[in-house]
Amino acid sequence: MKCELTSKHRVLQRSVLSFCRREIIPVAKAIDDEARFPWEVVEKMGRLGYFGIQAPSNLGGAGLDAVSYAIVIEALSSVCASLGLCVAVHNSVVVYPILAFGSPELQQQLIPPLARGAKIGAFCLTEPNVGSDASAVEATAVRDGDHYVINANKIFVTNGGVADLCLIFARTDPTAGPKGISVIAVERGTPGFHVGDTEELMGVRANPVSSIRLHDCRVPLTQRVGEEGAGLAIGLAALNVGRIGIAAQACGIAQGALEVSIQYAKQRHQFKVPIARHQAIQLMLADMATDLEAARLLVYRAADQRDRQQPFAQESAMAKLFAAEAACRITDLAVQIHGGYGYSKHYPVERYYRDARVTRLYEGTSEVHRMVIARQVLAKP
Amino acid sequence: MGLHIVVCLKAVIAQASSPTDERTAEQCELNPFDRPALALAHRLVERHGGSITALSMGPRTCDFALFEALARGAQRGVMLCDAALKGADTLATSTALAAALEKLGPFDLVLFGTQTADSDAGQVGPQTAVALDLPMVTWVTGIEYSDGKLRVERLADGFCEQFELSWPAALTVHSSAAEPTEPELGAIEQAFGASTVEIWSLEQLGLAPEQVGETGSPTRVLTIDPLNQRKVCSFIEGSTDDQIETLVEQLKTRGNWG
Repeated sequence: MKCELTSKHRVLQRSVLSFCRREIIPVAKAIDDEARFPWEVVEKMGRLGYFGIQAPSNLGGAGLDAVSYAIVIEALSSVCASLGLCVAVHNSVVVYPILAFGSPELQQQLIPPLARGAKIGAFCLTEPNVGSDASAVEATAVRDGDHYVINANKIFVTNGGVADLCLIFARTDPTAGPKGISVIAVERGTPGFHVGDTEELMGVRANPVSSIRLHDCRVPLTQRVGEEGAGLAIGLAALNVGRIGIAAQACGIAQGALEVSIQYAKQRHQFKVPIARHQAIQLMLADMATDLEAARLLVYRAADQRDRQQPFAQESAMAKLFAAEAACRITDLAVQIHGGYGYSKHYPVERYYRDARVTRLYEGTSEVHRMVIARQVLAKP
Repeated sequence: MGLHIVVCLKAVIAQASSPTDERTAEQCELNPFDRPALALAHRLVERHGGSITALSMGPRTCDFALFEALARGAQRGVMLCDAALKGADTLATSTALAAALEKLGPFDLVLFGTQTADSDAGQVGPQTAVALDLPMVTWVTGIEYSDGKLRVERLADGFCEQFELSWPAALTVHSSAAEPTEPELGAIEQAFGASTVEIWSLEQLGLAPEQVGETGSPTRVLTIDPLNQRKVCSFIEGSTDDQIETLVEQLKTRGNWG
């Protein structure tokens, strides 16, 4: 068994980190403070292929593998979790389901602008009464000739404030329960498409998370992704892939927090020596590094399983659960190492601490992940 | 027809656990000082047409540097890889590169980085140019190519020197001549997934083992020891005049002045 990155992966990682140093680090604090989506950076990321990481080259994508995808998200998130989130969601729960379930015509129409970042995507499942129970979707899409008429109230939509293309989960058959949900790709600007206010969030503040409301929105039937009624299965398949991205994001946040903690521990003197010489600090750093390495191995393993076309639902759930929990432990210790300075907005650990917290919530809470894992564990003979 | 530009580059040790470590893919990266040379080649070929060949020497595990060069715009990658090349100093490296360049010709330009990030000698470019009897300008900060004429400038000791060169020529390229940008992700996949790098042996270069590697190297690195550079902060007291006098005395005592 090989547990190492290939040359391609290392070159990719260095390239993304180099981009991060040049383009993202200089603005990371300001865009968090101002809760501003950095279009000037996003446009450059689009030109470099960050929005079509795994899309095939004939549709304008970079054609990379899932391990590469995890590497990109981790590297971006190590300096800015908001942009890591933007890219993760766009690639994994928007581009992926269109590629996996959309008709060839729909792929030709939607993927090229998404892959080059000319259009930003959003995944619209959550509603005021729909969270962990995704089958309870209340949004409706009623057939009217060759169109659907959609009414939906979607909340906590990542990329919502800037999204050009939203995958809307709506009920096409009110009598069919979980099998009565469909996914429909709706373009911003369609009459009846409204973007709500940006949420005031604790973390990932540079991502314009907002509500999306559709009021009698008419969308051609050809915009449906996959079969009618297959929406829940498509959503869950997308979330399986998405979990790898969120787990990689959690690793990135943890990596960023660990790096600044090591740097700080070497610089900060107390009792006439750098605090890195105190065993109390060393124990924390050791736990952080070990926790992160374990999380990262789970993430890469899940991505590798996907690349080898092996089942990866359990692996991605374990990776997401463990990495999210680890990121919260690690960023908490990072604040502890920084002492009072860690509580100050002048130091980046405060941002890492806030950003890490949401990884235990979105794309399935840690508790839902434990349910998923337990179900799979118990199903084994 | 366009230009044929050869860019010589190296996989350098980015993180060494000990100074005598052999180069492995995990420890190495494309020499950051070579990236401006690649970027300049890319810019010239984009404007004037032609092709870029990337040339390197080292263990097989360092071929990633050539794949990275392919992702950064090169069309061909050639790796000089032979057990006899091991342990080469800058002169033996230049001998091997010159032999490879003879085979890769005709070319219009040979570009190098100004130095390597690991050994920092800055000798391979000029030595290779001498071996091939090519005109060379080092630390090129700007380049202009029009009407078949090549004009370059370099900054040295506060002066800006301008040169006109005959073809073919060799340059070492400073980062201010062409700022490297990151390759598209798709270009990385394309380079590593669908391209190949040619591996050339000593026999293909037409060189004898004693001309290259450790035996062909007139210099040897005997030891490398890390220096302990401790920074000490001290405050000089007294009136401004007294402080200046004390500072000057201290600088003189340490050999920094006079």
